[in-house]
Amino acid sequence: MTAETQMESYLTELRLHLGPLTIAEREEIVREISAHVRDSAEESGGSIETVLARLGPVKELAAQYRDGLLIRKASGSLSPLVLLRATLRLATKGIFGILVFFLAILGYAFGGGLVLTALIKPILPANTGVWIENGRLVDSGVLFPPPASPAHEVLGMGYILVALILGSMTLLITTFAIRRSLRLSQRWQSLL
Amino acid sequence: MANKRALPADGEQPDRWEAQLRKGALEMATLACLWRGRLYGLEIIRFLESHSQLVLAEGTIYPILNRLKAEGLLTSEWVEAEAGHPRKYYSLTDAGRQRLSLMAEAWTCFSKGLSHLLEPVLEQQEIHQ
Repeated sequence: MTAETQMESYLTELRLHLGPLTIAEREEIVREISAHVRDSAEESGGSIETVLARLGPVKELAAQYRDGLLIRKASGSLSPLVLLRATLRLATKGIFGILVFFLAILGYAFGGGLVLTALIKPILPANTGVWIENGRLVDSGVLFPPPASPAHEVLGMGYILVALILGSMTLLITTFAIRRSLRLSQRWQSLL
Repeated sequence: MANKRALPADGEQPDRWEAQLRKGALEMATLACLWRGRLYGLEIIRFLESHSQLVLAEGTIYPILNRLKAEGLLTSEWVEAEAGHPRKYYSLTDAGRQRLSLMAEAWTCFSKGLSHLLEPVLEQQEIHQ
């Protein structure tokens, strides 16, 4: 393979792996990398092959661009799907990511669960709520059967409001905590 | 041009902690390269090699530049060069200068504190040597 075709095949592959980016972004990246390869080969008098090797595997290079984009998009998003996808990607890179991923799942499950119970309360009023016995919490949530007397439900229909507020707050905190972690992970790539 | 000390010997991998430390400082170092004026990617890589011990796979710098630009800390422009192809030059934005100043302050404060903490360790090493 001649030096030119070697470079062309590297750039073609790079273009291919930069799929999710816009065409303009992709072409700009390819143009910049191609300028780098020419300059670097000229400067060192070395072969294109050496320069390409120093640049690193093309898949890795493209993945760094793609991860940057994914995390940048997610850190401004409110969608649990987008956020979970970015956290999942982060989780493949190390302990910090794995921790963030599990906390994210936990936060979404707990917050979403609470909101769900608030919606169930009007349908199953006797089975949903917070039960107390002698001033101590016995159980809470949607229960079949509900705890027996002397335990009694304390919130009544107020449960809807309490569960909605707590649930939404948990979801909100989870969302912002994930976004913050994603931004931090970008700044401190060492943690990835 | 490159500082020999900055290059690890062949096959010698800096240990993981050290590698993380370097990566963590890379964003600040990249911004710092541009403090005096615009540079293109390869110049930034060579600048980092000769002024700091942050040796990196050459490909690493470009996604970082891309991200710093997306964050509004850098701007870029294509400039025609004698080489026959244009080069993408980066410069700091006002936000970038501001961020870098804050980072430099925090870094100096942090490293002074640590140096103080490590003084006895280094003194002891000298005695042993």
